[in-house]
Amino acid sequence: MAATFTEHGRATTRRGLLLTAGGLVVALAACAAAPLYFGDYETQILFRFLVGLVLAEAWNLMAGYTGLVSLGTSSAVGLGGYVLIGLLNHSALPLGLVLVVAAVAGAVLAATAAPGLMRLRGLYFTVGTLALAEALRLVMINAERFGGASGLFLDREPPVQSELLWIATGLLAATWLVLLLADGSRLSVLLRAVRDDEDVAAQLGVRSYRVKLAVFAAASALMAAAGGVQALKLGAIEPYGMFGLRWSIDALSMVIIGGLGQRAGPVVGAAVVVISAELLADYPEAHLALTGVLLIVMMRFAPRGLVGLGADIWARRRLMRGVAS
Amino acid sequence: MEAIASSLASGFLLGGIFALTALGLSLVLGVLRLVNLAHGDLLVIGAYAGYFLLTVTGIDPLLGLPLIALALALLAAPLYHFLIRPLMGRGVEAPMMTMFGVSIVLQNLFVVGFSANTRSIETGYSTSSLTVGPATVGWIYVIGFAISVATVVAAHLVVTRTSFGRDLRACAHDSVAAAVIGVNVGRVRMLTFAAGAACTAAGGTLMGLAFSFTPSSGAGFLLNSFAVVVLGGLGSILGTLVAGITIGVLQSLGGVLLGDGYRDLVALVVFLAALIIRPQGLMSMRR
Amino acid sequence: MTGGPLLEVRGLGKRFGGLVAVEDLTFAVSEGSVTGVIGPNGAGKSTLIGLLGGALQPTGGTIALAGQDITELPAPERARLGIGRTYQIPRPFLDMTVDENLEVAQTASRLRLHRVAARARRGEILEGCGLGESRNWPARRLPLLRRKRLEVARALALEPQLLLLDEVGAGLVDGEVTELVDLIRAIALRKTTILIVEHVLRIVRECCTRLVVLNLGRKLADGRPAEILASDEVAAVYLGTAHRPATGSYPAPAAGAAPESPPDNPPVVAGAALACLVGGAGDRVGEGLPLLRLDRVSASYGQVPALREISLSVAPGEVVAVLGANGAGKTSLADVISGSLASRSGIIELAGTRITGLRADQIAALGIAHCMEGRRIFADLSVEQNLLIAARRAAPAASSMRLEAIYALFPVLAERRAAPGTSLSGGQQQMLAISRALMARPRLVIFDEISLGLAPIVIDRLYEALAGLRRAGLTMLIVEQDVDRALEIADRAYVLEHGTVALEGDAHAIRGDARLRHLYIGMAD
Repeated sequence: MAATFTEHGRATTRRGLLLTAGGLVVALAACAAAPLYFGDYETQILFRFLVGLVLAEAWNLMAGYTGLVSLGTSSAVGLGGYVLIGLLNHSALPLGLVLVVAAVAGAVLAATAAPGLMRLRGLYFTVGTLALAEALRLVMINAERFGGASGLFLDREPPVQSELLWIATGLLAATWLVLLLADGSRLSVLLRAVRDDEDVAAQLGVRSYRVKLAVFAAASALMAAAGGVQALKLGAIEPYGMFGLRWSIDALSMVIIGGLGQRAGPVVGAAVVVISAELLADYPEAHLALTGVLLIVMMRFAPRGLVGLGADIWARRRLMRGVAS
Repeated sequence: MEAIASSLASGFLLGGIFALTALGLSLVLGVLRLVNLAHGDLLVIGAYAGYFLLTVTGIDPLLGLPLIALALALLAAPLYHFLIRPLMGRGVEAPMMTMFGVSIVLQNLFVVGFSANTRSIETGYSTSSLTVGPATVGWIYVIGFAISVATVVAAHLVVTRTSFGRDLRACAHDSVAAAVIGVNVGRVRMLTFAAGAACTAAGGTLMGLAFSFTPSSGAGFLLNSFAVVVLGGLGSILGTLVAGITIGVLQSLGGVLLGDGYRDLVALVVFLAALIIRPQGLMSMRR
Repeated sequence: MTGGPLLEVRGLGKRFGGLVAVEDLTFAVSEGSVTGVIGPNGAGKSTLIGLLGGALQPTGGTIALAGQDITELPAPERARLGIGRTYQIPRPFLDMTVDENLEVAQTASRLRLHRVAARARRGEILEGCGLGESRNWPARRLPLLRRKRLEVARALALEPQLLLLDEVGAGLVDGEVTELVDLIRAIALRKTTILIVEHVLRIVRECCTRLVVLNLGRKLADGRPAEILASDEVAAVYLGTAHRPATGSYPAPAAGAAPESPPDNPPVVAGAALACLVGGAGDRVGEGLPLLRLDRVSASYGQVPALREISLSVAPGEVVAVLGANGAGKTSLADVISGSLASRSGIIELAGTRITGLRADQIAALGIAHCMEGRRIFADLSVEQNLLIAARRAAPAASSMRLEAIYALFPVLAERRAAPGTSLSGGQQQMLAISRALMARPRLVIFDEISLGLAPIVIDRLYEALAGLRRAGLTMLIVEQDVDRALEIADRAYVLEHGTVALEGDAHAIRGDARLRHLYIGMAD
């Protein structure tokens, strides 16, 4: 992993951390205020960007920070969606609490699967997560109690556009909080130690299983909450979509295009993927094919993604300028 | 009773075809240490190739099987050369992700090129059936089983009895030591990838004859093949045959006991269980 | 100064498949002491570190730390109890800064230091280890010596009760060794108990209060450093004279160690019978021209330099030994010649043809065979297939003739021709590896550490075979840790130190050269 999946820096100083946090708060405020200056169309795209970004950030936390490459994003997304619709339909719990329960369900799913999946190192973990996602989809297709192949409908009006955007913004805020914790705290070095060399980490007292489990659970919780928010917007869900490979492709391609393990990678990648999807809205297959091509090109020529590429070019320029002067 | 016997017999025969579909994945994983996430889509290519061979030229897909296999091998060689080879020695993730990209591209090319419609290959033998005792099975299952078992056994013989097979096994076990005694490791890898793709395409055509398929059938095909590889044990070709048949029969059992919708789930559960219970079986090929 | 036993090891054993790495090992380390574990390559020293640190699980025996049985504890729990270890080849977290590398250990350890206190403590450790000014460097930028220091610093950040140092001196030049000795002494002064596994005897002599000598996985001696190092018995183990009856006190190979079949009566194999295994008849034409020539060849593993401007030549029919302590670059040299390690600079020629930059299989096709360290037998192939795979582009008749010659040389391989290659005992696998190299009918064979980890009686057998090949006119480059063996068969020898040629010349002259012992036992101050 260490060979291709490269460094991610860290806000080493308090001041840096505060600046980062401040910047994130401003960005969140701008998102929340978007309905004021955006039309419906733009707001909708922003919503799509926010949900995608949450998935990408969570996927990056696993793959980029800890070395857990998953193709099972849809397990958590789908579970979150079903939990949210089910609870809203059959209980009187407030929406906020329902989203929390959906997130907890995601974490529980990860904790349940972990004893099996975590025994598998490297590529077997990846294939195991893919199989888990596919198995859950088949279960849901056959589970008549949960609507079978035709799925479930939300039996109330979904929230309006601006409310949805606020919910998604709130979720992103929660995601960034988790990442700040993982990135800014002392925990950060443990994650990177496990990613870079699990054996050496163990010799230094790092209980790598617990570290990986914590990350897997946290990421799954965020993904499940994102699935819940997505289900809320759709108002109707079915297993093919909610448990579809599409979620894994999205999260993975956003991070790889943006920059795996790079702090800004998911934001850049999510922007590229969502905008290119919008530009090619009439040709969704062409967009996906393009995403695949980008993925191949990035793996070959820019394993640190667009962010890494930008950093390299910037560094080279400064060097050139230094030589010139 | 007859329904059960027919179902089990079909499952057994289908399992033989599963073994062929998994063969390429197993070879490539063993020799290149590559998880070919586009394997399912190569199978789908095989199915489309059979479909269009029949509908456009009228050639029977079974007769055209060698042609399809050859075409895929020729397609796979440059794929290896330009996409996989440069990433060798950069860990397992980079080539795996690259093949994931290839998978996404292929799937969407299918939709653009062939539409998202569900297709099936209609031939005389794909609808007629054979009755032996209490069991009635489709002719295509019988023919497919025969072709698959013959191919798998042939592959086994090539790997265990020929000098190329010797080189292949040496590369799989220790590529550095193989190179030092004079094996051209790059060439062995490319040939393995191409031969694997050829087997995969043939398996895909048979799957297309036995089932209907869509551009997105690849993911299911991939996992089914993976289940066979894991259960059979990496590096054992005859193990693949046994595992394929086991999964075919278990699927039929699952279908009979739980309902048809659970057929595919059975393979996945077996797969996850095998992965978790005997990871040492998986690791046996790794140095 | 020293208290009761901190570490107690009883009857410790570790097998890898059929291979015994450590056998029935019992010793204790008293609190506050500095104990050295020495022994030749393959004696089981690094396995011992793995067993104590928890990276390996023993197949027998117990380990206790301060009276608590820790045999079953996994590595992280042992680290939390205060066992810190270093790796022989440094394994820093490359993408972290030096400071962060230490932070990992602090964060994971049982001590919950406050952020500020932790930072101050890291500063202290780094200063003490001479890494003060590289504190905020990415570990990737550190050169080898500093990476070794980082290994030590990182283990110290655990605030260990017991520090395990695995070959920290390997590959360092004398000045660097001096600095390392000072560092170890400083750590010992702070009452940390230290166990040093070491090849560089100077470190052992200057730091340790006690020594344990391992050979073939067993304890050979145990006592005060001065006595142990003066003992001829120990010197014999190092220089490989241990099998000579003259030394007398050498213990018989452990019963139950590598299960060897009793050596078959050495068959008399005529040189003519081996002729079909010796290639390059034409090489003798241009007398005086070297068959193999290296001109200022350098190579490195990642950042770590392995060879620095090595020049060397081998004449047709000549047998050349390459000697040197562990980490001196012997195996790197073998790898560079056969193409499995790329050279950074310099020229390699085979009979005047430049082979630098060719792929390993192309070099093999030109007639260089490489019998690699560690045997590298193909597990999925039978004994006979392991042999036949190396006879590339040979007609079937020629292949079977070579097989016959091999089977005459090592009859045991004929008996087991259908068995899987890795089901053989260690000695038989080594015979197979040697034979596989010969099957190509090479012009030159590189034998890399063929005596490693084998009982003397088996080594005798292997060297008899090599002597036969020598008589048949085979050109050989013998990389060997067993100095006596190699010099007995060689015409000339090169002794490497830190990746350069420290000594070269006629085998007899080298044998008598006082500097040889110094290069090994490290008296050269």
